[in-house]
Amino acid sequence: MVRRVAVVAGGHSKFGKRYDATMRELCAEAYKPIYDEGITQDRIDASVLSYAASQFTGQGAGSALMADYIGLQEKPHLRVESACTTGTASLRAAWGMVAAGLYDVMLVMGVEQMNRVSSATATEYMSRAGDMRWEYPYGISFPAFYALMASRYMSEYNMPHDILAKIAVKSHFYGAQNPKAHLPKEIPFEEANNAIPICRPLNLYDCSLITDGAAAVVIAAEDRVKEFTDRPMWIKGIGAGASENMIQDRPSLTTIPGAKRAAKAAYKMAGIEPKDINMAQVHDCFTIAELIAYEDCGFAEPGKGPEIVENKENYIDGRIPVNCDGGLKSKGHPLGATGVSMTYEIMKQMRGEAEKSSRQIKDVKYGLAHNVGQSGQFVNVFIFERGW
Amino acid sequence: MAEKKELYLGYSTDKAITPFFQNWLEFLDQEKLMKSKCGKCGAEYLPPRQHCQKDMSECTLAEVSEREAKLYSYVIVDFAPESLSSKQPYVVAIGEFPSGLRLTAHITNLTSMPEVGMKLKLGFDKSPDGKMVTYRWLV
Ligand SMILES: [Zn+2]
Repeated sequence: MVRRVAVVAGGHSKFGKRYDATMRELCAEAYKPIYDEGITQDRIDASVLSYAASQFTGQGAGSALMADYIGLQEKPHLRVESACTTGTASLRAAWGMVAAGLYDVMLVMGVEQMNRVSSATATEYMSRAGDMRWEYPYGISFPAFYALMASRYMSEYNMPHDILAKIAVKSHFYGAQNPKAHLPKEIPFEEANNAIPICRPLNLYDCSLITDGAAAVVIAAEDRVKEFTDRPMWIKGIGAGASENMIQDRPSLTTIPGAKRAAKAAYKMAGIEPKDINMAQVHDCFTIAELIAYEDCGFAEPGKGPEIVENKENYIDGRIPVNCDGGLKSKGHPLGATGVSMTYEIMKQMRGEAEKSSRQIKDVKYGLAHNVGQSGQFVNVFIFERGW
Repeated sequence: MAEKKELYLGYSTDKAITPFFQNWLEFLDQEKLMKSKCGKCGAEYLPPRQHCQKDMSECTLAEVSEREAKLYSYVIVDFAPESLSSKQPYVVAIGEFPSGLRLTAHITNLTSMPEVGMKLKLGFDKSPDGKMVTYRWLV
């Protein structure tokens, strides 16, 4: 018998270049508000530690260190790794354990520290997520994979770069209102459209940030939820998908096939449709990724994503508000923390607790998180439901 | 038995060479681009796989006879991973042969901006010491 599971609490560190902290201190920062709410270590049965890469810090087997640092040294823990979708992969693993009855209450802690190495070295490490034999020797960096999608999308649908720049402008507009964001500043359209090239057709403002940070959520089984909150956010649908490892082997570059499969599975499990979703946190590691996500999640037909951008339907008062916390683009993208941060943001929006009313989405009943690993090799889509 | 020539693919590699890959690299060194073909179901792979993705059977190498392709997609890498920073900017392209086989490589002789759909020709290249061998796209 599968038990219903809810997110009952969350915490979030400041995202940024955190030279003042290492992964352990970032974890403490994310757990502190949860602890302060009264969810002390003795109330947590087990934890999943989500971090994507050991290379950035050199710390091996980090889950033991981090669990110990936040006082969970006597509770079972494990690490999950699925590149940039590590956060929701961890949530999925924890959900499975709680739904199955193995544990009642679990902490999912997402963290990454990426700024202990230079940008070029970080780019090097991330490029090794491509095929080491056939892609890596050609210097296909992480942005390069998405640039290959962007070139194809722009050609197939005759789309100008302006659309991508407008997505960046929106992300920064909301990121500027998020005190936890890495780069909380607005950028004008001209600057976004004409920034220095990184991987043409993508420029600096098309790319997410190399960020340090942590985010945490606590999940609980149905019959224990009331002990923790009267505002539970139910995990209503979970979908996971996968795609071909080499990007050249994908039948299309204007969609991420694994994301479509993940979204379809999540909607089916939740028993709802894309039109029922009130807000979405999508994986905008690059602006083109956000655009493709609109289509893969069913908010727009293939090739029609740009209409959402042109009509500003992705703003808080639009048809489908997307990444109104700044997204990976402005809030930042500490790999292992990202999916947990998406979950945290949906919970805060549902509770009406956005730090500023100017980025508070009204009346969120259903929120969707779309979290992509690498260039789509792994994808998790979660649908959350307001439980009050 | 003849001494194996020390060969690596591309411009920056992890140098993990297997007998199957070594054999394939030696063909490449002779400017022969090889695909692999499953001995059981006939499925073809480019880049080659030693094992068929469908049935795990052993594959054998067969030469790709096609020389012309179309540009399926491209990126101009302005900010490269550390290992290739001396080569930036460079252009990575996915080319599609008429048979549908695709190949990801650099375009090395562009004089204007690449365009999706443009014609590409298969070429080869090696480093001055002859150890780094590669296929490449030419316009
Ligand atoms: Zn076969």
